[in-house]
Amino acid sequence: MFGNRLIYIILIFAMHYSFTQNKQLLFGFNDIPQSVMVNPSTTLDNNWFVGFPLLSHFHVNFGSSGMSAFDLFADDGRDFNSKLQSLIFRLDDNDFFTATQSLDVFSGGFAFGKGIEKDRYLSFGMYIETDVIAYYPKDYAILAYEGNASNIGRVFDLSDLNVRGEVVSVFHVGITKKVNNKLTVGARGKIYSSIFNINSTENRGTFTTQVGQNNLLSHTFNLDLSVNTSGIGSLIDDDNSDISNDIKTLRRRLLFGGNLGLGLDFGFTYEASEQLVFEGSLLDFGFIRHNKDLENYSLSGSYVYEGINPLFPEMPDGQTAEDYWDEVADNFEELFEVDSTKTKYTTWRPVKLNAAVRYKFGKKNSKDCNCLAEDGGYLNAVGAQLYAIKRPKAPQLALTAFYYRRVFNDLSVKATYTIDSFSFTNMGFGLSTDIGPLNFYLLADNLLEYQNIAKAQSASLQFGLNLVFGKGQKQ
Amino acid sequence: MQKRKIYSILYSFIILMITSCVKDVDFDQADDFSLTPVLAASVVYTNVEASRFSENGMELETVSDTIANIEIFTDDFVIDNLVKAELIFEATNSINRTFGLQVDFLNEIDEIQHSFLFDASPSPLGDEVLTEYIEVFEDVTLEALKMTRKMIITLRLYPSNDGSSLDEDSAGEIGLKSRGTFYLNLSL
Repeated sequence: MFGNRLIYIILIFAMHYSFTQNKQLLFGFNDIPQSVMVNPSTTLDNNWFVGFPLLSHFHVNFGSSGMSAFDLFADDGRDFNSKLQSLIFRLDDNDFFTATQSLDVFSGGFAFGKGIEKDRYLSFGMYIETDVIAYYPKDYAILAYEGNASNIGRVFDLSDLNVRGEVVSVFHVGITKKVNNKLTVGARGKIYSSIFNINSTENRGTFTTQVGQNNLLSHTFNLDLSVNTSGIGSLIDDDNSDISNDIKTLRRRLLFGGNLGLGLDFGFTYEASEQLVFEGSLLDFGFIRHNKDLENYSLSGSYVYEGINPLFPEMPDGQTAEDYWDEVADNFEELFEVDSTKTKYTTWRPVKLNAAVRYKFGKKNSKDCNCLAEDGGYLNAVGAQLYAIKRPKAPQLALTAFYYRRVFNDLSVKATYTIDSFSFTNMGFGLSTDIGPLNFYLLADNLLEYQNIAKAQSASLQFGLNLVFGKGQKQ
Repeated sequence: MQKRKIYSILYSFIILMITSCVKDVDFDQADDFSLTPVLAASVVYTNVEASRFSENGMELETVSDTIANIEIFTDDFVIDNLVKAELIFEATNSINRTFGLQVDFLNEIDEIQHSFLFDASPSPLGDEVLTEYIEVFEDVTLEALKMTRKMIITLRLYPSNDGSSLDEDSAGEIGLKSRGTFYLNLSL
């Protein structure tokens, strides 16, 4: 009973608290050192920085494209199962639930270059990232909810099962270089060490119940299902139940001991004029080769079942119903036999694209301000951003309008309005503030939903703490 | 002055973040969760020609067959979640004789748990006469079904009214088709 409930709770969590990776608030927010992770060409506004270990960047984001927890758990007196029923039929197989979390373990960076004007910036660090996406398996849900009796003739599409999840640790070094007065480019190399990976995105097949020829019904099974995993087998079925061994294994994997991969980020910033800027970046263009600690499962075959045909032993054919029954049972056993292999496989990281246009305006005119002229002295910026991430079925897109304001020399804010798969009313707000060399930032979106987070289809939160030196001395 | 105002706005933002909450929801509703799928599955089928009820010039009174090693009804999942079952039989008879179909349900040690019997009507004109029969398993009979490891299917040829018997040249056939409907109730 407890096991059932646990599975159910995990399922519900997987359904509702899944995450996206759009960092629309961080993108281009160059008061925050970690903005260089979203675009390697972003020129950081400091001479050097070092992030507080484990505190320099924390990000969680959840989203579900078709529903919120409120849809199912609202305390509105409606029967739970009728709410469940309406959700099962309302969501479609392109609805998804995603989960992302990232945590900087350490990070740092410094400006360098010939002469007084340092034209390059090197940044580096290590972070741990979790990324999960699960599409709503509609046909499976309907089969589980209604059964096949009322769905005679319906083709249940088994490709609706589409899930991917991974935890990776990432080591990275990036460089930002000012090419000329207009163009800055950046690139970042990454080494991935995969801690866990589950990949079930290539499922095919159908299950159909039809009116039969020889019998009342005929059932057609066409199965081609598979799931690849790495990093899970050794933790689940190791003989010793000693948790400290597992922790050792995990620690080793964090430090290049997992399945390894390589990746690249690229970015550019083009200042068309003093006020107009175009920016773009491509992140996590890379792969992970899984060759250690593999457990892959597959289920394939096809079979048409019409029933058991008793031929009666007195008849000359000889085959009895019992033989036929044994044959049917064997066929089913064969059909549902799970093949377990340890075949190596490669996964591509979810590549992300960011693009933005930014217009700066409003020079400061305060008499008593003694701040230095940054960004040519412009205090405001408005613009639009496009975000896309490659997902198993189709890219996921988001469009953002933003307003940035340097309120004081030690306080900058950014407000965003985002349209994405989750909602048309996503308002975000972020701030970065400096107290001496201490930089603190807090970014959150979907603020309208914070009054009751259960109604939110997505929300994200990022915060971090850095030590930043030489801020405002560049330019 | 202005600075203080701005900071107070920012503090409210931070307070909003910290005090965000989950309202008007009741996660205990998950206790009411239940799934009630209805599964349909083919069961047995056969086609027997009239001529095959004659052997060495003698009419066969009964033919029967056994399906043993049935594990599906005694499976824990079925025992816990099956709340009702129906077996639907369709007999198509084009022989001018009445047939009786009997199905016996036996447990592991061959004790009869349940039996049912229905007659397939004769076809005086040699056309196909359809007889439908539904056996419903609920309560006591459902419990009997959940003990079943073996089924014996017996086709019985009743004596004709006019004393005639089937021989190797007799025309017509009797066909049987069947499906099961299984009502499940899965809850937490």
